[in-house]
Amino acid sequence: MAGINYGVEAENLGKAYRLYASPFRRVVEAATLGRVSGHQQFWALRNIDFKLRRGSSMGLCGANGAGKSTLLKVLSGITAPSEGRLRLNGRVASLLELGAGFHLDFSGRSNIMLNGVMMGFTRREMTARMGEIIDFAELGKYIDEPVRTYSSGMGLRLGFAIAIAIDPEILIIDEVFAVGDMYFQKKCVDRIYDFKRRGKTILFCSHSLYDIRQLCDEAIWVREGRSAALGDALFVTNEYTSYQRQHIDDASRALEAMVPKASGFADGLPDELPQVRDARVYRLGTDEETYEVHTGDAIEIRVWWENPDPAAMPIHIGIGFLRQDSTIAAGVGTHIDGQRLKGKSGCTILCIPKLPLLAGQFLMPIVLFDEGGVHRYHESLVPENLMVRARTKDVGLVYIDHGWDLDGAHPLPGESHVPARKTPAARR
Amino acid sequence: MPPTSATQPVDPTSGGPGADWAPFKPGPWVVPESPGFAHLLAKLPGLPAVVFAHRDLVFSAVVRELRARFQGTLLGWLWPLVYPIFMFGVYYFIFAELLQVKMPNITPEQKPAMGIFMFVGVVVWTGFAEGVLRAGNVIVENGNLIKKLSFPTELLPLNVVLVSLTTMMFGVGIFVAVLWLSIAGRELGIFETALWPDAPGIGLLWIPVLLVVQLLFTYGLGLILATMQVFLRDTMQLASILVLTWMFVTPVFWVASEKVIPGISPYLDTLALNPLLHLLNCWRHVLMVAQPAIAFDGQPAFLHSLGVFATCGAVLFVVGYLFFLRSQRRFADEV
Repeated sequence: MAGINYGVEAENLGKAYRLYASPFRRVVEAATLGRVSGHQQFWALRNIDFKLRRGSSMGLCGANGAGKSTLLKVLSGITAPSEGRLRLNGRVASLLELGAGFHLDFSGRSNIMLNGVMMGFTRREMTARMGEIIDFAELGKYIDEPVRTYSSGMGLRLGFAIAIAIDPEILIIDEVFAVGDMYFQKKCVDRIYDFKRRGKTILFCSHSLYDIRQLCDEAIWVREGRSAALGDALFVTNEYTSYQRQHIDDASRALEAMVPKASGFADGLPDELPQVRDARVYRLGTDEETYEVHTGDAIEIRVWWENPDPAAMPIHIGIGFLRQDSTIAAGVGTHIDGQRLKGKSGCTILCIPKLPLLAGQFLMPIVLFDEGGVHRYHESLVPENLMVRARTKDVGLVYIDHGWDLDGAHPLPGESHVPARKTPAARR
Repeated sequence: MPPTSATQPVDPTSGGPGADWAPFKPGPWVVPESPGFAHLLAKLPGLPAVVFAHRDLVFSAVVRELRARFQGTLLGWLWPLVYPIFMFGVYYFIFAELLQVKMPNITPEQKPAMGIFMFVGVVVWTGFAEGVLRAGNVIVENGNLIKKLSFPTELLPLNVVLVSLTTMMFGVGIFVAVLWLSIAGRELGIFETALWPDAPGIGLLWIPVLLVVQLLFTYGLGLILATMQVFLRDTMQLASILVLTWMFVTPVFWVASEKVIPGISPYLDTLALNPLLHLLNCWRHVLMVAQPAIAFDGQPAFLHSLGVFATCGAVLFVVGYLFFLRSQRRFADEV
C-alpha cells in the first residue's frame, strides 16, 4: 500500500443544509418526489479542498459559525457532504464534544467501556486499554463515581483519554483545549506530538491561534464556509490575524472620531499651527512603499510636516504603534531621543533596521508635540495600517532578539557562598 | 496516487515520514450521492457483520438499558412483569368477568384457560408494541449522540427491540416456571389441581425461531418508523394511536373463534391478514401446548402461522432496513 501519503483527502467539499419553513412543505416535497421543492438551501460549507499528509496536523481557525464544526462533522463521517468527496485513510476517532455519548448515571469506568464500544471496539480491546485510560485521565477515585458528579474539566480528561487511547490513525478534535488545566493541556500536547511522531494525522479546531501555530503544520482558515486561507500554519494564522480588519476598522473609526485622519491633513486646521502633511512607510533606503512586512524587515517611516513658525513653536514628532486591540506596542519620539526639527517644513524619516513587531496589524498614529512633548499640536494616522507577519512562532507583541546558553555553570543564587548542606544547623 | 514530493516541508517535530509506519489501507471515497438501490441491497447481507463487529456495543447497550431501567427502583427486575400482569388483570376483569368472553365447554382443570390465554397474548403484544414504539423514537431521542459520534445508527433501534424482547422473555420465563411449578405441585400432591394440565415441553425449542422472526418484524417496522420520525415528528404520535388500534384488532384478549364470540366468522378471513394474529397464535401453540382445544379451534396450524409471520417479518425487515440505510446519512442534519 505504499503511495498513500495522505491521511485525509478532501476534494471540493460542500455541505448544504435544507431549511423547511414548515413540516408541511417537507411532506409536499416528499409526496411529489422532489418535483415541488419546499426547501431553501443553505451552504454551510463550500469548496473546501485539501490534502493532509500522514503524520501532519492541521488546525482550523475562523470565527464562530464560520463552518469549522460542520467541516469536522463532514470529515468525521457524521454527516454526508453535499458536494465533492472525501477520503480518510485509516481508523478515525473524533472528539467533537466533550462527553458525547457519556451516560451520566454510570461510573467513569463503565463509560470508558461504553464509549469505546460506541467507537467500534470490542470489550476485550477496551479492557486492555482501561488501565492506560485511567492513568491518563488521572481522575483518582472519581473513576468509579457517576459521571454526573464530574466537572467539565474531568469530563474532558476522560473523553480525551479515551479518544487517544484507542490509538486512531486519524484524530479529529473540536476545541477541546478550551477546557482543562495547564497541566492536562500539557499532557495532551505531549500526546499529540507523540501521535505525529508515529505517523498519525490530526485535525483540530481551535480559537487559539497559538495552539494552531504550535501544534499544526498546516492550517485552514474557514470564513463563511469557504476556505479563506490554506497552507502553512504560520501563514494562515498570520492571514487570519491580519484579517481582523473589521475590528481594526472599528478601532480606526473610534480613533478618527478623536483624531483627524492623515488623509484629512490640512482640513480645517488653522494655517498657523504645525501639521502633518503626509506619512508613509517604505522599505528602508528604497522608494518601495509597503504596508505588508515581516518581522525583522528593515523599514522606514517618512513624515512630511509643516511648521509655520518654528521659532515660536518648536515641534517634535512622535510615532506610535498601536495593535488592533489598542495595545500600544511601541512609541518613539524625537523629543525622547533629543532630536530637533528645523525649518518651516520637512520630511523626517524614522529608520527601523529590524522591525521587532510580531504578527498583527498596527495603526500608526503620528503626533506633533510641543517642545516639552506634552501639548499635541496635531495628531493623525498613517493612512494605511501596517500588516506584520511573523516568520517564527514566537509569542507576544515583539520579537526579542535572543540566544540560548544551555550550559550555564552558575550556582543557584544564595548557595554560592555558603553551601547550605554543609551547615550543621541546616541539616537539623 | 500522488508521489511524495521532495519539496514538501517536513515538520521537525514529526521526525519525518517514518519507515515503520504501518501501511494505510486507503479508505473509501465518501460522496454526496445517496447510495443507489443496488448498493443498498448489497449492504443488506452486511448487517450481521456490522452487528458482529459492534456486538459489544449491542450487548452493553442492552444490558445498560435494562439496568438503567430498573436501577434504583424498589421492584428492580420485577418491573418487566408488572406491566403485563397489571394489563392482564385489568383486561381479564373487563373481558372475562364483565363481558363474559370466556371459552365454553372447558374442563374444570382448564378453568384458568382464559386468563392464561390473555396473559400470553399480553406479554407477547407488549414485547412487540414496546419494541416498535421505542425503536421509532430512538433516533430522534439520541440526536445528540448521532450529531457527535460516528457509528452505525441502525444499531440503536436494534438495541431497543432487543431490550423489549428480553423483557418479554422475562414474562415468558416466569410463565413457564409457574406452570411447571404448579404441575410439579400436583404431582407431589401439594396442590389438588395444577394451573394447567400439561407442562410446556419440547415445543419450547421453537422459541428461538419465534424470537428471530419477531425480531425481524419488530426491527423492520421500527426502522421505518424511526426514519420517518426523523423527518416528520408526527409519525410517532400517529403510530402510538395505530398500535393501540392494532392491539384491539389482534386477539390479545379475545379468541378469534365462532364458539367464543358468536358472529365473528365473516370477519375471520380478514382478521387472518394481521401478521400479529399469527405471531400470537404461534406463541400460544408453544406455551399452551394446544390446550384447551377450544382456544385453537379454527385457528391456523402452527407451521402455517409461523410461515405467514416469518414471510411478513422478512419482507418488513428488508424494506425497513433499506429505507433506513437510504436516509441514514441525513439523520445528523435533521435530528
